[in-house]
Amino acid sequence: MSHLEIRIRLPLDRFDLELDQELELPSTGIFGPSGAGKTSLLETLAGLRRGAQGLIRFQDEIWLDTDRGRFVPPERRGIGWTSQDGLLFPHLDVQGNLRTASERARRSGSDPEHLMSEAVELLELAPLLHRDVTTLSGGERQRVALGRALCSGPRLLLLDEPLASLDLPSRRGLLPYLRHIRGQLTVPMVLISHDPVEVQALCDHLLVLKQGQAVTDGDPRRVLTDPEVFPTADRAGFENLLPGRLSPAPSTAGAPRTVMLREGLEIITEPLPGEGEVLVGLRANDLLLATERPRGLSARNVLPARVGDIRPDQGLVSVELGDGLPSVLVQVVEPTPGHLGLEIAKPVFLVFKATACRVYGAQDRGHQPRAAIR
Amino acid sequence: MVEVTLLGVLALTLKVAATATLITAIPGIAAGYALARFDFPAKSLVSSIVTLPLVLPPTAVGFLLLRLLAVDGPLGRHTLGFDLNILLTWKAAVVAASVMSLPLVARTARVTFEGVDPRLELAARTLGFGPFSVFFRFSLPLARKGLLAALILGFTRAVGEFGATVILAGNIPGRTQTLASAIYSAQQRGDLGRADGLMIAALMLGLLAIWASETLAGPGRPARGQDRLDWKQGRGAGARR
Repeated sequence: MSHLEIRIRLPLDRFDLELDQELELPSTGIFGPSGAGKTSLLETLAGLRRGAQGLIRFQDEIWLDTDRGRFVPPERRGIGWTSQDGLLFPHLDVQGNLRTASERARRSGSDPEHLMSEAVELLELAPLLHRDVTTLSGGERQRVALGRALCSGPRLLLLDEPLASLDLPSRRGLLPYLRHIRGQLTVPMVLISHDPVEVQALCDHLLVLKQGQAVTDGDPRRVLTDPEVFPTADRAGFENLLPGRLSPAPSTAGAPRTVMLREGLEIITEPLPGEGEVLVGLRANDLLLATERPRGLSARNVLPARVGDIRPDQGLVSVELGDGLPSVLVQVVEPTPGHLGLEIAKPVFLVFKATACRVYGAQDRGHQPRAAIR
Repeated sequence: MVEVTLLGVLALTLKVAATATLITAIPGIAAGYALARFDFPAKSLVSSIVTLPLVLPPTAVGFLLLRLLAVDGPLGRHTLGFDLNILLTWKAAVVAASVMSLPLVARTARVTFEGVDPRLELAARTLGFGPFSVFFRFSLPLARKGLLAALILGFTRAVGEFGATVILAGNIPGRTQTLASAIYSAQQRGDLGRADGLMIAALMLGLLAIWASETLAGPGRPARGQDRLDWKQGRGAGARR
């Protein structure tokens, strides 16, 4: 388990960023609204921003200790940093960008060729290698930036809103790549985001920042539904994420698709391209609860579940789908026992339309991402 | 009076201007980078000194240099204990041309470096490159077009230098007479044919410099054409897949 200790005070324009945190990584999300100090924090961790007072320690290395006048410059921190806009070197092509990064891997004794082929495979960069970086789409640029960071053989990834500058289709396309990095590599990461879906999909631990202060931290789902955080998270309501498998594409175009959550539990979604491991996003206020199996209903999805928890003050009921699937939050006005007779462990049905499902990360191998967007 | 051929004048002019360009390249680019990237206490002073020759009458700069290099000046024989043997030689013309073209090189380099996103340099730092590697591996290549333009600009300024050169190096045919001072002499003597020839040579040299800077270091023109081509190819490849 990697260990990142941050005890700093950094004066910013409108407030001071103050943190006293020990992060146990593999994957920590720093979450909060724009202007909360997230990027300043990441730049301080990377050593790109001076002016912080205090202590930063990664594993057994002290990166910053202002009491002892210690500051380790960014080139000696062994990090992989990506910014929102990728910052690819425009005088080099994609392969040149990756090779430049792999020089550090060579110096530090890692196998640069292995790192390179791993990054190329994980992020599917092979078709891009000889492209001029100025011609890449936003999603491709971020993939190359991530690849470049990985090629340098980093001990810690610092990712600044990798999906923020992208439109929705590109974000859906990039998310699975980030999940591959998280799932298949052992490099710990700190990810900055103001997107609840992103942090749920990628982080084991979430730290919420507001006006430079840590508001709360913990399990992403718990934190995101915290009444302190919830209003800032997403005005349209909390979005549940369920992992599943999108079945192979049907021969008839425009047919609805099925996502298998587990054996015997499937979700019907709108027609969409691709297949493979996906995340299905379900907004809490797109979901209905029924105490009996409804009949004669146009909604395509009726899933059996059990009530897990009732939070009357937030108007939320969480239901369990069983078999290790994450619990699903449903927005219900006044979920009191008097209404519907909801109580913990009571069997219910979760009801939603096929169009309410947002499917993230379908691998669309037949098409270029750009072609898929159009 | 010895009559030097037109080619002889041209050769000396090119020798002086090329040497001056070589001499100004490193301090000019270094000053441009420092002014673009760093805040240091004497920044405005350095900036002013670097700019001064641009706003002073060239003859004033020439006279100032003459005072510095004169026998009893701070860089003269009395102070140094030996003679630099510069005055009234082609080296004096190089000194004058260097001092006069340094501001143009430094200012153009500064603007060029200011156009390079400093965050690219930060990205390179996080990939393990120290400040010096970042400068040579990233800042310089990223600024190469603008820097080439800066050097060509400095070269043309050195070719055209007259006021400071005449005071410091004189106007000695075959020794310190450059294109600019040769035109002046020919015109003063009423040798209009020779003045015409020199003027046409100057014209050709100027056009050549403009062409070179447009081709090598123009405002991204060749690169933009290249980009457009790649972009089309990229789209074509995307559509094929």
